[in-house]
Amino acid sequence: MVLKSLGLTIIALFIVGLIVLAMTPDYSRVREGHADAGYLDSAKCISCHTDHHRSWARTFHSRMTQDARPETVQGDFENDNVFEYLGIKARMEKRGATFTMSLTFPDGRTESHTIERTVGSRRIEQYVTRQNDQHIRLPLAYDLVNRRWMSLNGSFFHPDSDNYFQHRAQWDANCVFCHNVKAQPNFNPRSGQFKTEVAELGIACGACHGQSAAHAEEAASPLVRTLWRTGTSAEKSIINPSKLTPERSLMVCGHCHGQRVPQPLDRIQEILGRGDPYNAGEDLSAFYTPVSHETVLQSKNGPYSFANRFWANGSPRLTAYEYQGVLRSACFTKGERERRINCLTCHSMHEGDIRGQIREENRTNKPCLECHQQYETPAALTKHTGHILDSPASNCYTCHMPRVVYGIMSVHRTHDITIPDPQLTISQSVPNACNQCHLEKSVNWSIAAVKRLWPDRFASAQPSADEQFNLPEGPRALFAGDALIRALAAEALGGGEGMNPDKEWARPFLIEAFADNYPIVRFFAANSLARNYERIPKPDYLATAEARQRMLAQWREVTAPDLLKQTTVFAEMLRRRRKDVDIEVGE
Amino acid sequence: MTKSKPDSESTERRWINHMMIQGWAAVAFWMTFGLLLEGLLGYKIPAYLDDAERREMMRLAHTHGTLLGIVLVAAALCGERLAVAPARAIRFALRLGSLLMPVGFLLAGIWHPEGDPGAAIWLVPPSALLAIFGVIGLALCARKKG
Repeated sequence: MVLKSLGLTIIALFIVGLIVLAMTPDYSRVREGHADAGYLDSAKCISCHTDHHRSWARTFHSRMTQDARPETVQGDFENDNVFEYLGIKARMEKRGATFTMSLTFPDGRTESHTIERTVGSRRIEQYVTRQNDQHIRLPLAYDLVNRRWMSLNGSFFHPDSDNYFQHRAQWDANCVFCHNVKAQPNFNPRSGQFKTEVAELGIACGACHGQSAAHAEEAASPLVRTLWRTGTSAEKSIINPSKLTPERSLMVCGHCHGQRVPQPLDRIQEILGRGDPYNAGEDLSAFYTPVSHETVLQSKNGPYSFANRFWANGSPRLTAYEYQGVLRSACFTKGERERRINCLTCHSMHEGDIRGQIREENRTNKPCLECHQQYETPAALTKHTGHILDSPASNCYTCHMPRVVYGIMSVHRTHDITIPDPQLTISQSVPNACNQCHLEKSVNWSIAAVKRLWPDRFASAQPSADEQFNLPEGPRALFAGDALIRALAAEALGGGEGMNPDKEWARPFLIEAFADNYPIVRFFAANSLARNYERIPKPDYLATAEARQRMLAQWREVTAPDLLKQTTVFAEMLRRRRKDVDIEVGE
Repeated sequence: MTKSKPDSESTERRWINHMMIQGWAAVAFWMTFGLLLEGLLGYKIPAYLDDAERREMMRLAHTHGTLLGIVLVAAALCGERLAVAPARAIRFALRLGSLLMPVGFLLAGIWHPEGDPGAAIWLVPPSALLAIFGVIGLALCARKKG
């Protein structure tokens, strides 16, 4: 009886085992022969990594590129859905599950585009359509912060233009690489056509963890999982950026947060054809070189320099160059090998506020104090900063990571962690941390202050003989700087983030700045005006020149006329010193 | 091992009693545990509600514990009518399997890593095999009688 029972039990076990084995998924040949071989869709990770999938799904990374569907599109296609710019009237409509952008030109011509995908989900939502089997970025985007339609002309550092399609771009050759996992443009040089494929839309698991097919195959065994969980055996088939060396971990993020050129340059054919060769965990420098102030490419139109994307001292001026910033920082170059700073020192992809993806405790001095323990006590900190304990200057990042970087309608902190030096404003036009807050003080005042506060370091610092550096730096930069400097100054004069300029003092400068010929400068001036005096509606930075003048009339009414006159004279004087440089953004 | 000798009448009564007591005790315990789960659900206790793995394991513990308790009671009731008493190994396997399987689920739900039950889940497959072995053994005894 017992033997018979045992036999039947073994037969039952055998049948169950066969069924389970037959149902085990086979990932070994996923996308075999393609650049994304072995990459699994993030949905396949849920069964084991439920929490990590959930924490990723709430991030802006996860929604970077999406198919346009009613549940994904955030732009207003139903109510405030008409936008006129440069005489072209655009109407955005939702018809069932389809979203369209129709343009009516001054001569009565019309064209209509069906939106296939959206790009971006935090600050602006851009739209991609399909034309002749190619993916094209449309000229209008939706500003998710200000809840309005906008022209992409208003988001780049170019002056007002009559070219409605100035920033028309091919998604297949640009955005696709960093806004999705493992892009393969499949470009045919003979036909000039792309047949783009991606492992997954958006910045999903594969972007940071690489291929996961082998990992999923192994993890299908409960025994293997238990051995991994108990630490009895190490899991080696998947990349975990937090377990890489600081350099390699930095490269995972630097792959996209560090604009780059192929290494060697002719590798571009491979990249536009078969696809991006880099996988998370690999040596990024084997495939790409980060662009720098010195990078020059030879193009059909002659040499092309990337210098405008950097400050004269080589520090990045734009976002998506954070990798270059960190590589320049002493925290990286001088850090002990395993304690070198990397993205995960402060950021976390699965924790904290999704804006910035920084754990709450890392918004304090905690990450810096890991190495710089000498400033841990309040007394040591105030002695070091020369500022009172409760001031924003007691946060390391206020002075060592000033807000001198632009990206997507917003000002950001630099990732080039440096010692603030106001002399750089004189010698290289780099905005300095001191005058980021002390907007009403001059650069020469800042130089005198640093000499007093840190006499050893700044013993040889000298004020400038150039009179402009005796002027209040906020307004000086607002009129004498190039467009990016002006945009930073316009944003700073609106207050916030530790900057607290007198509103009555700042208002005439902001009104004058709203006459700028760069729409992006007007964007920041308009936002600052709205913060300066909340009772008047925010002026429209993309309106026609006449309309903008009308909008400003209300602002002029609440400002002393003699102040306005003085400001105009002041601005004219400084504008003569201005040297504008336009900045290309993109790969 | 192959053929078990029929137990004496008192031994026979004893295994039936033991199985009956364990069965009813299991039903009472795991039903009470079910009441606890209802409470956790009703009062939206995050430690239970927000942890899918824990909910799954605890529900399995509750259902398996209760049902296996009923199986033990049924086995005890049938025991009186069986011409051949099941071998000690069969009785022991059924009782041990019925005890360990829900306990395995419960412990695997209390302590577990992300996306997987806790290590105590390894109690479940062997106890399932023991229970299946015991049930098959009882079925064979019943067949013999028929």
